[in-house]
This record gives sequence, C-alpha cells and structure tokens, in this order.
Amino acid sequence: MKKKLSEMDYDEQGTVTEIKEDLRKRVAGMGIRVGKKLRMVTKQPIKGPVDVVVDGAETSLGLDMAEKITVEVA
Amino acid sequence: MKILLMGHPNVGKSVFFNRLTGANVTESNYPGTTVDYTKGWMKIEGEDVELTDVPGTFSLDPKDRAEEVAVAMLHESKDVKVISVIDASKIERGLYLALEIIEEGYPLVIALNMRDVAEDKNILIDAENLERILGIPVVSTVAISGEGIKELVSRLKDAKPVKVDDIIANAAKTTITADAAGAGGAT
Amino acid sequence: MKLGVEERWDLIDRISKETVTFGVYRHTLKDAIGELTIKPMTGIPVAIAILYGFWSVFGSFAGFFTDGFFVRLFDAYWLPWLQAVFPGEGGWLYAIMVDAGGIESGEFVLSSNCLESFGVLTSGLFVAIGVVLPAILIFYLMLAILEDIGYMPRLAVLIDTMLHKIGLHGYAIVPTILSLGCNVPGVTATRILETKKQRFIMMTLLAIFIPCGAQIGIMQDVVPDLMGWILLYLIIGYFIFGYILNKVIPGRAPEFLIDVPPYRRPMLSNIGKKVLGRVKGFFMVALPFVMLGCAIVGVFYQLGVIRFLGDLLAPIFVGWFGVPAETAGPLVAAFLRKDLAVAQLSVIEMTKYQMITAVVLVSIYFPCVATFVMMLKEGLKELIGALAVLAVTVFLYGGLIHLIGKLLGVA
Repeated sequence: MKKKLSEMDYDEQGTVTEIKEDLRKRVAGMGIRVGKKLRMVTKQPIKGPVDVVVDGAETSLGLDMAEKITVEVA
Repeated sequence: MKILLMGHPNVGKSVFFNRLTGANVTESNYPGTTVDYTKGWMKIEGEDVELTDVPGTFSLDPKDRAEEVAVAMLHESKDVKVISVIDASKIERGLYLALEIIEEGYPLVIALNMRDVAEDKNILIDAENLERILGIPVVSTVAISGEGIKELVSRLKDAKPVKVDDIIANAAKTTITADAAGAGGAT
Repeated sequence: MKLGVEERWDLIDRISKETVTFGVYRHTLKDAIGELTIKPMTGIPVAIAILYGFWSVFGSFAGFFTDGFFVRLFDAYWLPWLQAVFPGEGGWLYAIMVDAGGIESGEFVLSSNCLESFGVLTSGLFVAIGVVLPAILIFYLMLAILEDIGYMPRLAVLIDTMLHKIGLHGYAIVPTILSLGCNVPGVTATRILETKKQRFIMMTLLAIFIPCGAQIGIMQDVVPDLMGWILLYLIIGYFIFGYILNKVIPGRAPEFLIDVPPYRRPMLSNIGKKVLGRVKGFFMVALPFVMLGCAIVGVFYQLGVIRFLGDLLAPIFVGWFGVPAETAGPLVAAFLRKDLAVAQLSVIEMTKYQMITAVVLVSIYFPCVATFVMMLKEGLKELIGALAVLAVTVFLYGGLIHLIGKLLGVA
C-alpha cells in the first residue's frame, strides 16, 4: 500500500517510491532517495516535523517535505 | 598546495583537525558572513601545508549559510587537495558528498572515520576494494584514538583527480567478475 | 563530468554492494533513549525538565559565587581600598574611575557597594568579574555538555512547531539559547538558517528580546523575585514580534531539515575546549565593551549629557511607559551598558510593576556594541532594518506592557 511519509504510523517501515522533483536534491545528501527503506520514528503534534531513519541515520524533516515523499508500506 | 577537510557535520572533522595541526591555529570569519572556520598548519613529508577545517555540509547543493560557505571555500581554492571525512557507519551518504567533490575534479583522500562505531553496528567495509573502485586513497580511521591518522597523511600524495567514467567502469567490472564467478560456481 | 542525483545514487548503490556488508543491527540503550527524547509524549516532559534543571543550576551556581564570594570581596575590600587610595576624591576622574558617590544633605558621600558606585574600576570590574564571569562560565559549561552529548538537535525537533509559526524553524533554538550567554556567538549561529529572511528575523529577535548572560546575571542579583515576570514578557515579545516580522518581511521561510545524530558520551576535552573558547571569546570581545561603556557612561554623567537626555525623554518614559522620572537617566545610560543600567534601576524607589517594565525596556533596548558590530558584518542594510524594527518594537511593546499593567490595575 502506498502512502505519504507524513501519513505513516509510528514505527512503520516502507520503501520510498517517489520524491517530488523539487525536493530530490535537497534530501539527497541526507541519504533519502527512491528505493531506500525507511522507518518513521515519530512526528510532532500540530503540523510538526516527521522523524525518519534511513540506513541508521536519523533525519527530521518538515511536514510539507514529508508530504512530497511517497512510501510503499509493506 | 592547501588541504581542505570536508565532510558532514558530526563526523569528527574537528577531532581530525586537532590531531593534524599544531599550535598555530587561527579562527576566522568568512568574508561577508558570520560563518567561522579554522585554519592551521600540518606537516606533510617535512613541509608545512595549510589545512582548513571547512564547515560541515551534506552536499554541494547548499541548504543554509554554513553550507554555502563550505561550497564557496571549495570552489575558490586553487591547487588544493581534499580530505573527505566520512562516518563509516553512514558510508553511503558520505560517499554522496565525496563523489560530488570528485566529479568537480578535485583530488581526494577518503577517511573512513569511526570505523569502531561501524563495526559495533555490524557494518564491515572493504576499504581496499573501495580504493580500487574509486581510484583514490581510502583509509580507515578512528580519529578520537588517533588510529589511521599517520597513514592518512602519508597517502595524501597519492590523491589525484579521477574521472567518474572510470569509477563507473570499475564498479561495473567488479560486478561482472563477481557475477561470472557466481555463475561459474553454479555449473 | 557531473552526475545527476539519481545517477550518483545508482553508482553509490553499486559501489556499496561491492564493498559494504551490513550485518544485523541490534538496537542499543542509546537508540532507545534517543527515541524517547524525541517522541513528543516523552520528549516534551524531558525537555522541560532539562531546561528547568539548566535554569536552577545556573541560578544557584551564579548566585553562590556572586553573593557568596564576589560581593564580599568587592564591597568589603576592593571598594574601600580604592576609595581610600585613589587620589582626587569628588573630582571627575575619581567619579568615573572609582565612585560617583551621592549628595546627602548637601555633602558628598561615598557609596557603600560596588553596584552604586558606577566607577570603571569598581562597578565595571565587579559586573564583569563578579557577576558576569560566574554566570557565563556555568552557562557555557552546561550548554557544552548538552551539545556534546547530542541533545540540541532533539530539542530543535521538539520546538520546531512553535518556531515555525514565526518564520523560523527548530534549529533557531540554538542561536536563541547561545544568545542567553552572549549575543555575539548567537548572531554567529544564525548561519544555520537558510534564507536572508530567516536570518534577519532571528538576528532582530536576538538583539531585542534575548537578554545576555551579563544582564541575566545582574537581574538575578538585584531583582531576583521579578525574574519570572521579566522573562515571561521577553518570551511573549519574542513570539509576538516574530509572528509580525514573519508576516511583514518578504522572502522564503523554508522548512526544517536536519540530521539527528546519535547520542554519544561527552568528551571532557571537547567540553573544556568549547567552554574555554567561548569564555575567552566573551572576555576578548565583550569585556572591553563593558569597561569602555562604563567609562563613557561615567563621562556622559559628568558632562550632564545623560541628565539632559533624561529630562528631554522623561515625559515619554513617564507618560508612555509609566515608569518614574528618576529612571530616565539609567534608561538613557542603558544604550551603552544594559547591565549597569539594571543595577542603577534597582536602587530607585518604584513599584514592582514599574520595575518590571523598566528592566524589560532595558533588555529590549539597543543591542550592546559588540552585537552591533557583529550584525554589521551581516550587512549594513540588515543592521539598519533591525534597528528600525527595534525602535518601533521598544515603543510599542513598552506601551503595551504599561497598558497591560493598567488593565490589571497594577500600574
């Protein structure tokens, strides 16, 4: 099932299937890219940032960015 | 010749810097900004060479002022060699920055730092093979204890610009031979 | 040749497949703590506890050294000794360097403590060494520990939602907290913000609403019971004017994207180096300004400049801000030395609410000269803009505080 990164549940894992063009370069250096497995650790209340782990590296990204990333959830 | 120390934030860059340089360290302000960077001198084969600790950056597409300065410092340096410090436990995204620097034609040495942390996480890296594919020196280090620092310095002379095409070719070659070997074993 | 983002990652995938083996990763206690301190349900209470602990240790450590040691040293030994040996009692040099004294029933009397004497060698030195040094030292020590174990990015994540509303993002907590020590490194730390707009908002808010260690130290010393109210007014102002600035200033306010590194054991050498570097930086950059500011304030008092400006501005202070006319002098002097001004205010007779208003005014005033120079480095246009915002803010917010006081029936 596909869902946006911003819609994932706590501790849910999935594989990135799409990142909107304008965001791709910005997150590339942090190791977030299409085809990568990630785990959603937590998100902050009231439209706060989303925390993910990719390859053992933890990154926190704003909600608008998380909405531009699509994940295939097993 | 000058040496630039580059890498992500929190990979132990400043520990490297302190290990490599002596007492004569200066902190300066990058012109027109409030971004600080440190400069010092290191000895390479008896010669004093200037070493700059470039602010941490995740890529050469800067996302904030500190990263802008990091990229500008790389671009305006002539006759420079780069020590790319990589957190070995997060090697892939470290290689992303290293490749960007290689693509721009800078001679590079890779320090696979925090080797101990990577091993604790059960991540094993074949540094020799990596060196062969990239065509540049790759040294495993633990900056905090000083492990690998001497070797890193001695390998600086081997840093040279490499073509990305060669890296692609090297990576493909090993894949083919590995596949061939696998296929051979099956029959 | 340059690769595209995807091509580069494809190449890395291929290289990684050849050279790296990822074994099974076992979660450690460190990972568990890492997650507990970033998940809102557990992370927010922990953050509040940490900040409260920070504040308590700061207050008691600074108080212990200032009141328990330096006050006695300066008031019982240093001041009387200087008063006795410095030549020319009652003269202008004596007034500037040692003791401006006071006139009681027509006679010149010497001050009894270093807060009231206003000399460069007495008040200036006492504020710098007796009040600011302990405050700065404990502040930077605790901050360095939090930084070294890797807590700051987590705090940034937790507070992002709030700071996002004022055009900044979570990482703005770093310059904000640093500024509580000294605004100079605070301005430096604005570099982690992405756009000009964000850096401008941050710098302006720092310069206006974040009191530095020197101010906090002296407030803690002379008006400890009012600290809560003063800080509350400053925090509210930070968010109100941040919100307005975000609406008014053109430009982008991009979202937050940060790396959250794992916790690690703090290294003594790292912490030591950081604390020493910052304390040294403070004394090299800020201390000369403290002493010089003291001297200039002294000269201006002697020349009657401050009295003149005070008389001129007194109607505004009394009518608009609702503080007594006697505060005009210190409030003018605050343009040069905020810490001294707070000390001067503390000896003037006024209501609690007037004191809160006056101290908040001093805090949100013109930034200290060192910060001013630092902001100039970012650009003249930005500096002028920040000063314009500052003037408007002081006027509006000072009036608002007065109004709130009136509505509450305390002013």
